[in-house]
Amino acid sequence: MVSNLFSQQKRDERITAYGFLLPNMIGLAVFVFLPILYSFYVSLHDWNLLSSKVFVGFDNYIKLAQDKQWWQSLLKTLQFSLLYVPSLFICSLFLAVILHSITGRIKNVIQTLYLLPFAISSIIAAVIWMFFYDPRNGFLNQMLSAIGMEQQQFLGSTSQAMLCVVVVMLWMNVGYNMIIFLGAIKDIPADYYEASRIEGANRWQTFIHITFPLLRETSTFIFIVNIIGSFQVFDIIQVMTKGGPSSATEVSVLYIFEEAFKQLNMGYASALAFVLFLIIFIFSTIFLRKFSSN
Amino acid sequence: MQSYNNRWITIFALVLGIIMVIPIYMMVLGSLRSAEHVFDITLLPTQFQLSNYQEVVASGFLRSVGNSLFISAAVTVIAMLFHAMSGYALARLNFPGRKYIFAWMLSTLMIPLAVIMIPLFMITKNLGMANSYVGLIVPSIFNAYGVFLFRQFYLNFPKELEEAAYMEGSSIAGTFFRIVLPLSKSVIIPLTVGFFLANWNAYLWPLIINQKEQLWVVQVALANAIGGGYTIPWNFVLAASVIAALPTMLLFFLLQRQIVDGIKMSGIK
Repeated sequence: MVSNLFSQQKRDERITAYGFLLPNMIGLAVFVFLPILYSFYVSLHDWNLLSSKVFVGFDNYIKLAQDKQWWQSLLKTLQFSLLYVPSLFICSLFLAVILHSITGRIKNVIQTLYLLPFAISSIIAAVIWMFFYDPRNGFLNQMLSAIGMEQQQFLGSTSQAMLCVVVVMLWMNVGYNMIIFLGAIKDIPADYYEASRIEGANRWQTFIHITFPLLRETSTFIFIVNIIGSFQVFDIIQVMTKGGPSSATEVSVLYIFEEAFKQLNMGYASALAFVLFLIIFIFSTIFLRKFSSN
Repeated sequence: MQSYNNRWITIFALVLGIIMVIPIYMMVLGSLRSAEHVFDITLLPTQFQLSNYQEVVASGFLRSVGNSLFISAAVTVIAMLFHAMSGYALARLNFPGRKYIFAWMLSTLMIPLAVIMIPLFMITKNLGMANSYVGLIVPSIFNAYGVFLFRQFYLNFPKELEEAAYMEGSSIAGTFFRIVLPLSKSVIIPLTVGFFLANWNAYLWPLIINQKEQLWVVQVALANAIGGGYTIPWNFVLAASVIAALPTMLLFFLLQRQIVDGIKMSGIK
C-alpha cells in the first residue's frame, strides 16, 4: 500500500516534469535545433527559392572557399572584432575601476549616465550617430572646422567607416560590461586592499597586482562573450553603412543576409552561415569548457 | 591627500558620464528643432517645435510602436511562464533523462539567430507564420538562457514551503503555480525587463520574417525612415527616435536597480 502510494507519487512527478518541459523542448527543437540541421541540408543544394532544390553535394563549400567576397567579409569581421573587443574591454574595466573608487550618492548618478546608452536600441544609436557623422552638417565636422581642422567623410570613407561603427558599438555597450566588472570588483575582499595600502602601493600598483589578477574569471567571460557577439554584428552596420563604402564594412552576417534575402541564393547562403556557425561553435566550446565547472 | 585625489576622480568620472549622455540629449534637442536649425551646434534648447512629433504621429509611426509593445509583451509573458516551468522541473523534479535534457537545452545557446536566420525563415514560413504576429512572436520565445537562470534560482529555493503544501495534498503542478511561482519575483523581474528590452530592440528577425508595412516593428520602421531617400529629414527622424526610445528609457529609470541586478546575474555564473 505504502509502496503503491510512493510509486504513484513518483509517476506524478515524472508526468509533471515532462509536462513542464514539453513547451520549451518543442520550441527549442523546432526554432533552434532543427534550423541548424536544416541549414546543413539546404547548404548541399542549389536553391533560389523560386525553383526547386537541386542537390549539388559540397559544391557550395567549394565555391565559398574561392569566393573572394566571403573571405573579405571574414576579414572585415575580424577587423571589427580586433578593434571593438579590446577597446570595449579596456574602457569598461577602466570605468568600473574609477567608479568603484567613488563613494556617495554621486556614484549612482554617474553609473546611470554610463548605463543610459544601453537603454536605447542599436537602431536608435545608429540614427543618432549618423546625425553626428553627417559629412556636410554633422556636429563632428562642425567641431573640426571650429578648431581649424579638415572636415572628414566618416561613414563615407573606406578607411574611417569601420572605426565609426566601432565607436557607436562601444558607446552603447561599455556601461553594460562595466556593470559586470563592477560587480566582480565589489566581491574582492577588502583585506587585500588593506594589505596593499599598508605596503604603500599606489593606485596603479594596486590595480596591476591585486584587482586585475583577481578579475581573471570575469575578464575571460567578458572577452569570450564579446568575441562571440562581435562575429554576429549586423544591426548597426546594416543601418549605418549597408556594408559600404565599397564593402569597407561588409561583415559576414551582412554578406550572408544579402546573399540569402537579396540575391535569394538560399543554398549558398546556408553554406556560408554554416561555416560561420562552426567558427562560433569553436569559441563557444572554449567558453563552456572554461565555465562549465560551475 | 586621498580625498583630494578622489575629488578629481569624481569630477573626471562625472564629465565622462555627461559626455556619454550628450548624444541622447542632442537627439531630444534635434527632435524639437525645425529642419533648417536641426544641425545648430548648441547645447541649449533653442527651439521647441512639437510639430515634428505631430508629423511623425500623422505618418502612422505609432502603429509600429503598438506592434512592438504587443510583440515584446507577448514574447516576454509566454517566455517567463515556459522558462519558469522548465527551470523548476530541471532544478526540483526527479525524472529519467534530466541531465541530458538540460545539457541539450544548454547546447542550443551555441546557435545564435545570425547563423540560422535562413532555415528559421523557411520553417516559420512553411508553418504559415510569415507576415503575421505569430511569426514575429513564437520563434522569439524559446531561449535556453532564461531556463538556465530559472534553474539556478530554483536550486537555491527553500524546500519547506513545497513540503508543507504536499502535506496538505497539493499536487506538484498546483504547488508550483500557487506557491512557488508567486515567490519567484526576484528572478522574474530582472528577466522580464531583460526579455522586454531585447525584444523591443530586436531588428534582424522582424526584418526577415515580415514584409507587411502594417506589421512593422518600431526598429524596422525607424530603419526604413532613414534608409529611403537621399536627404534625411533629420528633425522628423529624431522625433521618431525619441518616441522609439521612450518605453525603454522609462523602464530604465523606473527599474534601474533590477536592470543592474539582471546584468550582474548574466555575468556571475
